[in-house]
This record gives sequence, structure tokens and C-alpha cells, in this order.
Amino acid sequence: MGYVAIKGGNIAINESINRLKFERLKGEEIIEINRIKAGMRGMIDQVMSEGSLYSEDLAAIAIKQAEGSLEEAVFLIRAYRSTLPRKHYTRIIDSCEMFTERRISASFKDIPGGQILGASYDYTHRLIDFDLLDETKEDCLEWLESFKSKNSIQWSDTNLRQLPKVSDYLRKEGLIKSCGNNDKEPIDITKKNMEFPTERSERLQILTRGQTGAVTSLGYAALRAYGALHPTVGELRIGSLPLYMQNPLNTADKDEDNYYIGDIRITEVETFIPKTIDKKQGKKEIDFEIGYGICYGQNETKAIAMSILDQCLETGDINYPTHDEEFVLLHIDSVESTGFISHLKLPHYVTFQSKLDSFRKTHKGERYDEDKL
Amino acid sequence: MNRKRRTEILINGSKDLSRTLAAQIEGKYDVKIVEEPNNGLVMIKMREGSKKSLFYLGEVLVTEAKVQIEGQLGIGIVKGIDLDLAYWLAVVDAAYNADLEEIESWEKILEEEEIKINNEVVKLQSKVLMTKVNFETMNE
Repeated sequence: MGYVAIKGGNIAINESINRLKFERLKGEEIIEINRIKAGMRGMIDQVMSEGSLYSEDLAAIAIKQAEGSLEEAVFLIRAYRSTLPRKHYTRIIDSCEMFTERRISASFKDIPGGQILGASYDYTHRLIDFDLLDETKEDCLEWLESFKSKNSIQWSDTNLRQLPKVSDYLRKEGLIKSCGNNDKEPIDITKKNMEFPTERSERLQILTRGQTGAVTSLGYAALRAYGALHPTVGELRIGSLPLYMQNPLNTADKDEDNYYIGDIRITEVETFIPKTIDKKQGKKEIDFEIGYGICYGQNETKAIAMSILDQCLETGDINYPTHDEEFVLLHIDSVESTGFISHLKLPHYVTFQSKLDSFRKTHKGERYDEDKL
Repeated sequence: MNRKRRTEILINGSKDLSRTLAAQIEGKYDVKIVEEPNNGLVMIKMREGSKKSLFYLGEVLVTEAKVQIEGQLGIGIVKGIDLDLAYWLAVVDAAYNADLEEIESWEKILEEEEIKINNEVVKLQSKVLMTKVNFETMNE
């Protein structure tokens, strides 16, 4: 079956684009980019994460252009990203270098460095605040002034830039198997087509840029019934990670010669997943494995769900679809999934006519009688 | 002052500082623009905490510029869209690479800016630590 080019519709298309602009502007209000950046943090984080491009500015412009449609904004980000040259790679970034602003553990009450709640919706009542209807800039500035002037508690024993990882602490204690650094060069899924079975680096890259809803749903499915897992959040941390780049003019690997290019804010999760291991003479032992999740910005649900799926794909139990890397990895990308679904709107006149022809041939002489239906 | 520390101060500090330092050089030396400030991507290579393996987290938008002063190349690169800052960073970098006499007086200025940045970090840390849970208090 070939495709047949068709002409016409240009005027209608142009008017459709005008109508789209009308829909964006008909309220006679303009949302400035700075306001989107200041007040739509969750949206910006999600667009950057699913777009796989860290830039609050670009995410804000995309959100404005897409009128808040996240799938459209992510599409715009990915399209723009494809026009830019990749100039450099960072030095290897380790989350131990994070300036942590939130850090909790569901596994241990007392973790080295303590539990830091940071900014989270978790402790709110989830009741709509109707006072926001009348919130003014003066209210905002007054509140900020009051917040900043409040006395702070001094915790001289806590350095937010040097909080130890809970998993490293458990490794030292011998509760989790130790492992050294694996420096194998990662595969970049933006440079190489995916082939199955995948490598861990490919899986993590696809999961971290996966659509939040898709990653969350599949993570939930694995947790509820399709994975036989019961993970516990060992550590969830949110904070800023400094990015450094090697001096391209000097290949000598000197730390002090690196260029600092800025910080990015991320969410990182390590979940502990108990695993029963069969030993000799029918004995069984419990061991713990770690699921890893990470994403740009603050998106805790996605990062936790990613850590569940990471462990599922490492295990690869054929009984569950959530352990099937083809099922998971090929269906969680925002642009791929929304793009393929959207293509159904494109003209399929010839293919559908062909189906109708087949229908007529196979049902020759028959007519659907609506009364019988 | 080494490049890592210097770029941390210039990017996390006031942009006025980069502008001022670059202006000192521009007024005295011939600054040849090798690469106009432009946008590009830097891919983030990350080590994960489960198996300690490497993967690519995603890209970050950067602005980069290159200049040449006294035959020495300087690079300015910063996260986000900031054409001016990338250019000023490149001028300062080239000044250090060319070992110009001005850099001697910059050390103190940069150290002072670093103190200001660190003070802000201490303030932020104190504020964040207000949300640290004191379980002992809860048990009393």
C-alpha cells in the first residue's frame, strides 16, 4: 500500500493556526515567561525532565506556547533540542556532591545527617486555598520578608553539601552488598538506536526522560500486582548538583582545571527491595537490592516509580509485563507515545478506502439493518 | 586562583563582577572574538547509586563563547541563556590563560565575592535545616 499525495487545505490550515493563537489570546491576558518560571515550578520540572533538556527558560516558553499542554511543550523542547549542537560532556556527576534541600527515608528513622523535610506537598491538607483568589504582590513580598527574617535553628553538625548516602552507610555496615565503581562507558540512546537486550545505561536514560504519567502507572502496576515487589524508600533526596566540564584545551585530567557551568536541581531515589535467595539444604536468605530513580527538578512520584521499574527491568521476570524491557522502554516516552497516537488523526483516506473495499467484497449483497443491531 | 574555583565564584556570584573584570581587560587589550556567544548542549554523565554504573541523565542548555587575548584562548560557558555572561567569562578566562598583570589584583576581589556566596549558602542551609526532624523532641 503506497501513499498518495493530496493538495489543498492551505487556507484552512492557516486559519486553524490563527484560531489556535486566538484561543491562547482571547482572554486578553499575557503570561510573562518570568511568571511561569516563578509560579509553575512543577510544570517546568516535568517539561525539562520529559524533554530531557535542562533549561527553565526554554521550558517556560514552551509551556506558554503550548498553553500548558505538557505533551505539546515536551514536543517543542525535543524539537528545539534537535537543532542545537552538543558541545561537551560533563565530568562524571555523583549525587554525593548535592546541596540537599530535602531528604527523607522511609526505611530508617535515624539516618546519618537526619531527615530533612524541605519543601513538600506531603504535609499539607490538600484543601483548595481560596485566599489565593485575592493574593496580591504586596501579600507575597510581605510574606517573603517575614519568612526571611525569622530566626533559623543552627545545626552545626549538619552540612547539606556533604550528607552521606544511606545506601553507602548500609554497605559499610555490611547490610547491602558492596560494589565498586563501574566505569564502563554508557550508551547514549540519542545517538544509537535501541537494541534488545538493553544495557543498564540505556534503561536509566529512557526511564529518566519517560513521561511522568506512564512511568508512574507502570511503577504502580509493578507494585500492585505485576511485579511481586515490596520496595521501601531507602532515601529520597532533592537538591542542587554542580556541573563541571573538563577543560577542552587541556586534556590533563586535573580537577582544579575544570570549568564549573552551573547547578541543576534533581530528585534522586534509592529504594530497598528485599529478595529471597535460595541457599543449600532448602534454606532461604533475605537480601536487599537497590532500585534507582532520578529526574530533573522535583518530581518525587516519578523518581520513586522509576526506581521500581529499574529493579523490575534488572530482574526481568518473564511472568510480568513490567519486567519486559520492550514493553516498558518502548512505551513510556512522551514524544513517541503521543506522536504515534496523534498520527491517527492524519489522513488515512487511501488505507481506509482499501479496508472499505475489502469490507464490500467480503459482505457482497449484505446490508446492515440497523433495526437488527 | 584555579579555574574551577574561579568559575564557581563568577557564575554563582554577582554578574556585575564578571562585567567589571571583563571591562578592565577590554579597555586595555585587543579582544578577538573567536566564537560569538551561542547556545548549545552539554550532556550530563552521571553515576547512579545502585550498581555505581554510569549513564547519561540528559542535556543541559548552555551558552558558550570563545575569545583570544595576547594569543591565548579563553572559554566562557554557563548554564542557560546568558550571552553577556558567557562572553565576560571567556574574557576573564583568556586573561588568566595569558597571565595578564590584572589578574593579580583580582584574587582579593574574587575571594571577597566567594565569602559573600558562602554567607548566602550558610543562610540557605540554616533555613532548610529548620525542616530537619528532631525525633527526640517528638518522643518527649
